[in-house]
Amino acid sequence: MNNYQLTIKADDKQVVLERILQVTRYRGFLINGISAKVNTGTNIGTIELMVSSERSIGLLVDQINKLIDIKEVRVDNSVSQQCIA
Amino acid sequence: MATEKKFTGGDLLFNVLEQHGVEHVFGYPGGAIMPIYDALYESNVEHFLCRHEQGAAFSAVGYARASGKVGVCFATSGPGATNLITGLADALADSIPVVAITGQVATAAMGSDAFQEIDIFGLSLACTKHSFQVTNIDDLAKVLHQAFAIALEGRQGPVLVDIPKDIQLAQVNGCLEHLAKLKNKVKLPPANVGSAIALLSQAKQPILYVGGGVGMANAIDELRSFAQITALPSVSTLKGLGAIDPKDSNYLGMLGMHGTKAANLAVQECDLLIAVGARFDDRVTGKLNEFAPHAKVIHFDIDTAEINKRRAVDAAILGDLKVNLPALAVPLSIAPWQAKCQQMANDYAWDYNHPGETIFAPAVLKEISEQMPKNTCVTTDVGQHQMWAAQHMRFDDPSNFLTSGGMGTMGFGIPAAIGAQVSRPRDCIIAVSGDGSFMMNVQELSTIKRFQLPVKIVLIDNAKLGMVRQWQDLFFNGRLSETDLADNPDFIMLANAFDIKAKTVTEKSQVSAAIAAMFDHQGPYLLRVKINAQDNVWPLVPPNTANDKMMENS
Repeated sequence: MNNYQLTIKADDKQVVLERILQVTRYRGFLINGISAKVNTGTNIGTIELMVSSERSIGLLVDQINKLIDIKEVRVDNSVSQQCIA
Repeated sequence: MATEKKFTGGDLLFNVLEQHGVEHVFGYPGGAIMPIYDALYESNVEHFLCRHEQGAAFSAVGYARASGKVGVCFATSGPGATNLITGLADALADSIPVVAITGQVATAAMGSDAFQEIDIFGLSLACTKHSFQVTNIDDLAKVLHQAFAIALEGRQGPVLVDIPKDIQLAQVNGCLEHLAKLKNKVKLPPANVGSAIALLSQAKQPILYVGGGVGMANAIDELRSFAQITALPSVSTLKGLGAIDPKDSNYLGMLGMHGTKAANLAVQECDLLIAVGARFDDRVTGKLNEFAPHAKVIHFDIDTAEINKRRAVDAAILGDLKVNLPALAVPLSIAPWQAKCQQMANDYAWDYNHPGETIFAPAVLKEISEQMPKNTCVTTDVGQHQMWAAQHMRFDDPSNFLTSGGMGTMGFGIPAAIGAQVSRPRDCIIAVSGDGSFMMNVQELSTIKRFQLPVKIVLIDNAKLGMVRQWQDLFFNGRLSETDLADNPDFIMLANAFDIKAKTVTEKSQVSAAIAAMFDHQGPYLLRVKINAQDNVWPLVPPNTANDKMMENS
């Protein structure tokens, strides 16, 4: 099982957080932690998502990037790590 | 900007639809969408009343697929909206541009478990490309423009717009906004043309693997030119059928679970697979880690997320096929491989010899294909008849073969044929169905009657859920479970009840004349073709098996 941390920037639009969570679950990633905040000046939300899966993180990044309101998805390599089960 | 004028939200909806060139919509009214149906009176949009919202959604899908335009459907809140979901899921799986408009209870009542209230916005997340709920009348026009832009941009798909009743009724100081231009959100890396050409030039046994993305990209001419210049042997997915000219001597037919033996063997032997608008679906690949085991892969696609999703690629060519295919069109020196593929095509050609007088469905569908007028559009339902149609009918364009590929939705065929007929009133439209699928949206015969649509229905009747029965026989020790449909209604009486002329054939000798009579009839027609309940679809690659280990009729 691999652990990853994603930092996602998104327009502060309806249900954007639900969309991200739905895609994350459906694509086979377990959500271990989440924090979200919005910059009210720019209306850009920043979501930090800690996930784990046996699948490659690239699969999830590509799927989240397809969501209409997403501006950027970054994998934080300094935090992501492989767990030895 | 148009002239200042007072509109209701409902008026505004139709104004925007007309801005986008929408002439036809499919729907079903109800309480929470009544202001929109009231505004329909003043609109130039023609509404086709379906008899179930699922029928409306599939008609919109069929309309879009047959015409290349956006299909539009309407439903009310609650059950009306939930009935759209299967159609939207189908459109998402097959990348079809559809805009669904749902009524919603008034904003003040939302979240109160009001009558016919459901959170369709929430339900839509998993079955649409995007969705909106409009809670401010000032946002309505912009949202609708965005919905059309999103449905068509990049990899196409369905978009839902949920409009509460008070927003439909609200007055807006109308200034029709200009059409939204959606910026291309995903920046694609430059096409990796150099490495792809190197792979092509080194390959001794390359295969062109064509998917539904070619038709969606309107890149048929570019694909055929690419196939002609390279003279690549080619295979097609279910949704790609029609993209390659079926008369092309290098074309080997459909690959995958019910693909031709030549197509599957060639793919298993190839050393380079050039996937074009295809996504390595499990029905195509069989056992994934044994699919095309010797092949390097060049993958053309518009969707970054399809690259390396199920098969690692050696060169990805992302972007518009119309631009990218010509860049790789170079003559190849692969004559021995071409000859081998053509030999396999000859050796494993379909055998239509079928002893006895019972009707052989593949031969019937082949004959219909040979008799049907040019530009005929065929829809199917899902099951054995669908695979026989894919195997034995010939299509010269993907927009002439509409089948539920990704979702595999029974009940697709009749309403999709309605949508296709509305979009192409001068073309012949044939719905090939099975007796199980036919009953799933049989109420849409009423839509055919209401609008006097000359849809031809070919009902392949084995009084079974044939494909499930086939799998139960082959893989569940013949333990047949809930697949017997011997109590089907009298389909001829049923068709006649909707003023649809109908005929049954039970013997081979009746088939040719019956097909000719169907085509000669000016209005809608149902031809019921009674077949042996034990007939199977061959070849068949069993689940989790490599494609060269197919089962054949023996």
